[in-house]
Order: sequence, then structure tokens, then C-alpha cells
Amino acid sequence: MELRGKKVIVTGGVRGLGRAMVEQLVSKGAVLTVFDLDTAGLAELVKSGVNGFECDVSNYERVVETTDRYHQEFGAADVLINNAGILYSEPLIKFTGSSVERHDPATWNKVMAADLNSVFYMTTCVVEKMITTRTRGVIVNISSVSASGNPGQSAYSAAKAGVNALTAVWAKELGPMGIRVVAIAPGFTDTDSTREALSEPVLRETTKRVPLRRLGKPEEIAHGVISMLENDFFNGKVFELDGGLVI
Amino acid sequence: MEQNVELLVAEVLQVPPATITDELTMQDIDVWDSLKHMELIVSLEEKFGLQLSFEEIVTMQSVANIKRVLKERGALS
Repeated sequence: MELRGKKVIVTGGVRGLGRAMVEQLVSKGAVLTVFDLDTAGLAELVKSGVNGFECDVSNYERVVETTDRYHQEFGAADVLINNAGILYSEPLIKFTGSSVERHDPATWNKVMAADLNSVFYMTTCVVEKMITTRTRGVIVNISSVSASGNPGQSAYSAAKAGVNALTAVWAKELGPMGIRVVAIAPGFTDTDSTREALSEPVLRETTKRVPLRRLGKPEEIAHGVISMLENDFFNGKVFELDGGLVI
Repeated sequence: MEQNVELLVAEVLQVPPATITDELTMQDIDVWDSLKHMELIVSLEEKFGLQLSFEEIVTMQSVANIKRVLKERGALS
């Protein structure tokens, strides 16, 4: 896909990995729209020529309403990048002094809503418009190295494994209509959300396990996304971009 | 040429060509589901060298309507 002039939606594009993707796609001449909850961040982005829609992508009604508004203004998107999500760690059983505590089902549901349901909601709304306008688009899902099962991340790992499964299913379903569905599974990347979710000692230990002995840079992950978009034969697979880390 | 359409429908749906009649609709056989319909549309587009609109795709839910749309598009005489 030649990215110049292509309409791209990035969810959670105000900061972190999403922001790096937005910047690289803008430099390629794409027409960017960000769906995000951060209204102040969106207002800043809009000043630089990026379109912004406030949207909680874990809420189906909000996604339907916001994608409708997007489609009325811009028509079908060429690319959807399902980047929004939360990085969250909690063991299945926590040792608390003299007793134990189970994983909170509320946090499980919150992570599944943000990291898996959102991908389903956004994709079904955006692909519907692609199909009805015969747009040969691309869906990019952001997975994680944790999809293979990272201890201490039950919900996050399960959500990302679900994202991988959806990528395979949708690639098979939508491929005949010319719509590609791909995923990228970043390893530990140097973003605010990584530093908020992992303590400094855990992060230091994790970095030691990466063969390249460093965290990934957001721009390296964004570069991986661009490569997948530009290569029209990449489909239904997860691009593991993790410095060689195996969990 | 109409026979080519019937053969292609039979091939995509993986049913005997004899079962393909003008009256056959998507509702008549389980194998002609939404996924098969997409596959059928793409096969027709490749075979006849055209791109169908969404309105045409929705209309083409019977063999008779497939032939009618292809005739309207000048792909069938």
C-alpha cells in the first residue's frame, strides 16, 4: 500500500506507541485521525493537522456513534490501527501477609474491555464501511510479546492472545475482499505506560532477558507497522518485534 | 456463458452443477453463507474482469439475480 493520501485511524494515538505511529504516518503523507480519550492531547494533535475524535473504544455505543461521525466526514478509512489499550499486571493469586487474594475480576474485565473488546468494536464498525464501499484496506492490531503467556499478566496476556486469534480469523474472512489484517507484537518498549506498569527493578530484570539488552523504541515499533502496511503480501500473521526476547 | 456462471457457482459452493438453477437462492442451501457469498463475488469479479458495487453484491443472492446483474454490466449476453 502506498500510504500517501490514505486515510488512517489510530486508536490511542495521543501518546506512546500510537503517537510514534501517527508521526511516521504523517511523514509518509497519510491523512491521520486519532480516536482517544485524552481530550487535551487530542486538542494538541489537531493543531498539527491530525484529526481527532474523543472516543472510549471499549464502549460499543460510543464506537458506533464516533465511527459513524468519522464515516460521514471522511468516508471509509483505508487503514485502522487498533493501538489503544492498557498494560496491566496482576498475578492470579496474590500473597498478602498471612493470607492470599484472588485476581480481581473487575480488573480482568477492565483489561479485556480495553485490550480485546475495543479491537472487535472498532474493527467491525470500520470494516463494515470498507466492505460497503469496496475499500481494500488494512487492519493493524497491536498485540504483545505477552500473548504467549507472561507470568503476572493473566488478563493482558489473554487479551493479546485473543487479538492474535482475531487477526488470523479476520485475515481469512476478509482476504477475499482485498482487506488485509495483520498484527505486531512489540516486546518491552520504552514508553510511559511501560514505566507506569512495571517497577524499575522488574524493568531492569526484563531488559536483561532481551538478547539486545535494551527496550524497544516507539519509533522502531512504528517503523514495523509502516513495513506491514507497505508490504501487500503480509497478511494474517503477527510480526514479532521484540529484540529477540522469548517469554 | 450462462453455463459458465452456473459452473462457477457450483465450484465455489462445492455442490453438483446439476443443483444450480436460476431459482436457487442463498436461503435455499446452508453452504451459501455470508463467507461463501464473499468468495463467490470475488470469483465472479475475477472471472468476468469487473468490480461489483455493494448494492450489486447484496442483490446477487440468487442465481437468477447473479445473471441479471452480470447482463446489466455487459459481462453476459
